[in-house]
Amino acid sequence: MAVEVCSTAFVSLGHAQAKALGYAELPIVAVPHPFGGLSRDKTREAAEKCVAGIVLAALEKMPDSSKVLASTDFSAEAIEVSADPDEINRLNRDRLWSDGLPVVPATAERVQRMLSCTPRKRNEVVAMLAPAFGAATVELIAINAVMAGCDPEYLPVLIAATEAIADSSFNLQGIQTTTNPAAAWLIVNGPVARRLGMNSGINCLGQGNWANATLGRALRLIMQNIGGALSGDMDRATIGQPGKYLFCCAENEQENPWEPLHVEKGYRPEQSTVTVVGAEGTLNLNTHSKNADEILRIFAQTLARPSGNDYFLCGQPWIILCPEHAAVMKKAGLSKLDVKRRFWAGSQLPVRYMTDIDRNLTQVRRRSELGEFTSDTTLPICSAPESLGIVVCGSAGTHSVYVPSFGNTRSVTREIVWSA
Amino acid sequence: MSDSIFILNPSSAGQCKDQQVRRALDGLKGKVVGFVDNSKPNFNNLVDDMAEFLLNHHGVSKVIKHRKTLASIPAPADVMSDLERQCDLVITGSGD
Repeated sequence: MAVEVCSTAFVSLGHAQAKALGYAELPIVAVPHPFGGLSRDKTREAAEKCVAGIVLAALEKMPDSSKVLASTDFSAEAIEVSADPDEINRLNRDRLWSDGLPVVPATAERVQRMLSCTPRKRNEVVAMLAPAFGAATVELIAINAVMAGCDPEYLPVLIAATEAIADSSFNLQGIQTTTNPAAAWLIVNGPVARRLGMNSGINCLGQGNWANATLGRALRLIMQNIGGALSGDMDRATIGQPGKYLFCCAENEQENPWEPLHVEKGYRPEQSTVTVVGAEGTLNLNTHSKNADEILRIFAQTLARPSGNDYFLCGQPWIILCPEHAAVMKKAGLSKLDVKRRFWAGSQLPVRYMTDIDRNLTQVRRRSELGEFTSDTTLPICSAPESLGIVVCGSAGTHSVYVPSFGNTRSVTREIVWSA
Repeated sequence: MSDSIFILNPSSAGQCKDQQVRRALDGLKGKVVGFVDNSKPNFNNLVDDMAEFLLNHHGVSKVIKHRKTLASIPAPADVMSDLERQCDLVITGSGD
């Protein structure tokens, strides 16, 4: 027998996920939200009320007829709708299948064209996606890709991305349900990026490129429609971020003076990969300096902020270096690992800068790594320089980017497999 | 319907899953209660107070507390299997 105690803002998440996990009858007892700030007396009052609710729930007899057997037929349902585009969008809107923008109707013909670009079977389950643990079949991925506006040949990228977000180290459950603005950033490497016409250069995280935009959007629809994280329901983001609509680019391998990301991860240059990153957002890093020491010093200092999940949770921060900054570092004789080491060493955060409550929580979470904090303790942004991510993207200009991570997440890279 | 088309449902919501049936307890006297503390601020105090009420006013024989190190990851499998083996009732926490 189990009972869940939820703060009021999370009760709907509790019910939705209990049902998704096969325990729709899980009793939930609510405490006021936000709970963390309650006085000791108020907490005791809440505890007394909780116990009363728990006792009632634990003793309540339920009818025996509520067992529902699992279905193994994952074929998508076909729905008849007026051919009027407004009616189709009204249906998508009413059923909460859209990201808030109009979508392309997922007709059987369009989905079939999409499916012709993968050798994988239509009903094959690629992954189970949290928090609903919906079965992401190849067909469902294709349907969402059509709706996002993807060209058929984009499908293998999305299949690989779906596998990647389902890897336990990505922590999709946390990313989908957190109050943090975490989004899934897609980085594409290898020949596929050029083949699909992806943008790795000017304004590559901005608007205007069909592949970047629709791939990023499709992954969001997959996370929402198959993973079940509907905004305001199981997706509990306090504010969110624009990257939750889409967050996708390719790496600028031509202007990367070091090995590209997928080669760093052990793939051959001629292979193509997609990497997913649990990203809090983007922070522009602008300096006109042409001195590597100066650039690294001020960028690393900018990372050190006492309100960041990377520091709270020992995360995996990412830096997008623009080609001009990367070239300065290469000219100074620095390898990619050298750059990571300089970022790591220069971004140490004095623990005394944190609020008391955050410092105490960070102490609990990072004790095994850092021991007992003293007033002189400094926090590294991540466990080791090697875990910091670096890619080179963009075009002319002096704007690099810090991509803070959700913290309790690690990037995952998967090969993109093409039809023979 | 004239001028109609068929579109495919993009959602997994219709996929049915096995549903467990809730098994009610016949009372709390002598029972063992487990807690999974999500480690959010103040939840440890709530757990301490609930444990005290259950022990002193409802005849619970024993409480077992597990505090997660991080809210956004599951409790370890060995902790969960241990709680399942030892406890009649497990209380978990969610939210802030």
